[in-house]
Amino acid sequence: MAGIRIDNLSKHYGAQTEMAAVADLTLDIKDNQFVTLLGPSGCGKTTTLRLIAGYLTPDAGTIRVGDRLVSAPDKVVPPEERGMGMVFQNYAVWPHKTVFENVAFGLRVRGMAKDDTRERVAKVLELVNLTGFESRYPNELSGGQQQRVALARSLVVEPEILLLDEPLSNLDAKLRERMRWELKALQRRTGITFVYVTHDQSEALALSDQIAVIHRGRLQQFGTPREVYARPANRVVADFMGLVNLLPGTVVAADSVAAGPLTLRLSLPRDLRVGDSVDVAIRPESITLAAAGGVPARVEEQSYLGNLSEYHLALADGTRLRVQTSAADEFPIGTTVALSVDAAQCNVFAHAVEQDAKPSPQDR
Amino acid sequence: MQHLTMATALAAAHSATRSRLSLEHWVTGGAIVTLIVLIVLPLVSLLWGSIAAEEGPTFEYFQRAVSSRLYATALINSLVLGAWTGLFSVLIGVPLAWAVARTNLPFKGFVRFTASLSYLSPPFLTAIAFVNLFSPNAGLINAFVRDVLGAPWLIFNIFSMTGLVLVTVLHTFPYVYLLASSALQSVDASYEESAQILGAGKLRTALSITGPLVAPAILSGALLAFVNAIALFGSQAIIGLPGRIFTLPTRIYALFDYPPQYGLASALSLIFVAITVAALYLQRAYLAKRSYVTMGGKGVRPQLVDLGAGRWILFGFCALVFIVAILLPYAALIAVSLSKSWGLAFWKNLTLANYHFVLFDYDVTQRAIANSLILAVAAATIAALLGAMIGWIDLRTKIPGRRLLDYISLIPLGLPGIVMAVALIQFWLRMPVALYGTLGILLLAYTARYIPLGVRAANSALRQVDPSLEESARILGASWGMTMREITLPLIRPGLFAGWILVFVPAIQELSASILLFSSDSITLAVAVYNLYETGYVEPVSALAIVNMAIIGAAIWIANRLSGTKRDTQRMEVTA
Repeated sequence: MAGIRIDNLSKHYGAQTEMAAVADLTLDIKDNQFVTLLGPSGCGKTTTLRLIAGYLTPDAGTIRVGDRLVSAPDKVVPPEERGMGMVFQNYAVWPHKTVFENVAFGLRVRGMAKDDTRERVAKVLELVNLTGFESRYPNELSGGQQQRVALARSLVVEPEILLLDEPLSNLDAKLRERMRWELKALQRRTGITFVYVTHDQSEALALSDQIAVIHRGRLQQFGTPREVYARPANRVVADFMGLVNLLPGTVVAADSVAAGPLTLRLSLPRDLRVGDSVDVAIRPESITLAAAGGVPARVEEQSYLGNLSEYHLALADGTRLRVQTSAADEFPIGTTVALSVDAAQCNVFAHAVEQDAKPSPQDR
Repeated sequence: MQHLTMATALAAAHSATRSRLSLEHWVTGGAIVTLIVLIVLPLVSLLWGSIAAEEGPTFEYFQRAVSSRLYATALINSLVLGAWTGLFSVLIGVPLAWAVARTNLPFKGFVRFTASLSYLSPPFLTAIAFVNLFSPNAGLINAFVRDVLGAPWLIFNIFSMTGLVLVTVLHTFPYVYLLASSALQSVDASYEESAQILGAGKLRTALSITGPLVAPAILSGALLAFVNAIALFGSQAIIGLPGRIFTLPTRIYALFDYPPQYGLASALSLIFVAITVAALYLQRAYLAKRSYVTMGGKGVRPQLVDLGAGRWILFGFCALVFIVAILLPYAALIAVSLSKSWGLAFWKNLTLANYHFVLFDYDVTQRAIANSLILAVAAATIAALLGAMIGWIDLRTKIPGRRLLDYISLIPLGLPGIVMAVALIQFWLRMPVALYGTLGILLLAYTARYIPLGVRAANSALRQVDPSLEESARILGASWGMTMREITLPLIRPGLFAGWILVFVPAIQELSASILLFSSDSITLAVAVYNLYETGYVEPVSALAIVNMAIIGAAIWIANRLSGTKRDTQRMEVTA
């Protein structure tokens, strides 16, 4: 069936000397997977998706679907011959066509008989909960409904690969949350390979089988949500995947680093030596607070978030830490608390001079 | 298994269309070639014609054009005409714009109607109407002043620069009106209120805030009025020639009397183009400054001034503009067309004979009407479709030089009608195809002249359509042609239709280029009116003029009706 194999893909906009939108990207997307391309805006994730769709021609590298070469600098199969589906950020539901006409379009292209078309459209509209909306025009639909028309339109032609470009970003928070579950269920039911682009890390974690974190056109890490969150390949990934305290530190022993008044015992990357400067990544939820029995810290800010409490703490040497704990604890501003860090949940990276990190080899 | 059938169906659909796959290339290539033949080659011929002599390149024609008093006077007259017209367009257009956009003037719809009808009325017909009223001897109002009032010093001679400016301004003030009123409407009240809360009075606010914000638009409108005023052949011939006021268009026209002097005509044309382009360049520069006015974006709330009783004074001014620009010329044309012999006692012998004559006895009319309709419909259709293609190439492809294509399509804005005619003659006389004197060359002239309107309409329509609407059709398997037919063209249809009307209206009354290009077979409505006018029979001319107006009016009405039935597509705004 249809996995996607991307090899050494590069794309520049404008002059070749400018920074690449996508640089030397290699990615192996297995069939029947929900894969997310994750990164901040402008990182090259949408460019990658448009390269996969065939809207863009790569400057270097290849894209294969199954064993068919679809993109190379000198040869690009046009989008209409790829048999993929794509859902756009703005849905791109045609405003001059009814829901039925929108969904039936791909079947008309394929020359399907009228009766079969009607049957097929009815089935897919049922799948996305839009039965009864056939003769509506898009301007009579809500954002979420338009979104589902776009989905139905792509699904009705039974693509092997469905590309989704930030499809939830224009929806309000509640609907977005619900559509996440629907998308995930849909992918499991249809067995279609989903390639999903988003800048929202929580969306990526919730939806994906595999996440490819992209920064400045380069792949930083490709792994399961758990791997990417708990064992980020580098500082950039750690920083991007949710809140993190990044503290400068030093390797003090083969299994231990010191960052200010904190000393953490944990397994270190092999290439680090005693005395090396490092960055220590500590998630706010890896820190626990107590009245006594740990490293002392002063509460500078405190904020109640309902399901948990967030604190800004200052350590003795002035280091600041963000901490998230159960909302049951309450430490007022100005008091001194004792903190302890679950070192097993922390990560240590060699201190990079430039932030333009490349993926470290052991994570590939 | 199902996957397999769908994939096979797609493959089948594409093997069927494989031969048409290059449709995209054919159409884009065709659009580019058409544009080159329409605009670039004639322009190159014009350049070449202005320096070509038997013994090689020469600047002789340019020297004669600038040194001879004949042509220098024409040049000066054109500039004087343009300058006065620009000034008076501001004096009329700005008060009207302010009244409509910023005051509680009553009957605003009436003012808007006055401005649009003044713009739509062919200026050469207005000129004929004013000749009937103000020619020194036979003009009805002059005759009334002289014979009934016994006040010959009140006689106004229309065959003068003043008369020419008057007639031209009636056509050009809407440019200033339109630009100024849209600028005034886009200045949010908050700008003015901020000045007022800081202590500035009404006058100070107007001078220091509102004025500077809308001044670029007003200047830009004045320059547009200038450019259009100097290009109008009809009124300058009808009013200027009897008054011995030669201008550039009428001088160029005279150079085509036997023996035609192509070199000199080309040189004079290029000087004409230089003036026009310079003015348009300034105009664009001013308009570009306007961008900060629209920064308020949506939900702009202009501040309305309560004029109290003063609004009736302002309304009186608007009514005066209506009387001079609409009522007088139309009433005069209708009255003349219905009278046996035009004069103070015309109402004693009313007749429809003039209409019978021009419609049935004068064998030119029917041919001219048919020709004009064919030409206007064809030119509007070609301009709209070509515009769509050029806009599409510019906005949706990465073809190198696509911006250049866009600029080329705007060149005709800088070419007065008569210059376009000279260029086409220069080019097609050299070609082995006998196009001169046929409807074909008129069609080329009209399409080339109005292609900028088609391109702009299509361009702004295409900008409203997000590329993803087309891309989503492509990824569903639709070919380029099918995407165009099913998605792009239906979505930009309202814009294309607007462009079609924008071209149709001036094309059906085109005179400046037609006057050099027509033959007895390919005569157009405007030329027929002009030729009949030259013979001196004012009554049938007026009848023909009214017929002309009626056809224009009917065409606009039908076009609006058609666009009305298409409104359901406009209702469905592009959600993307």
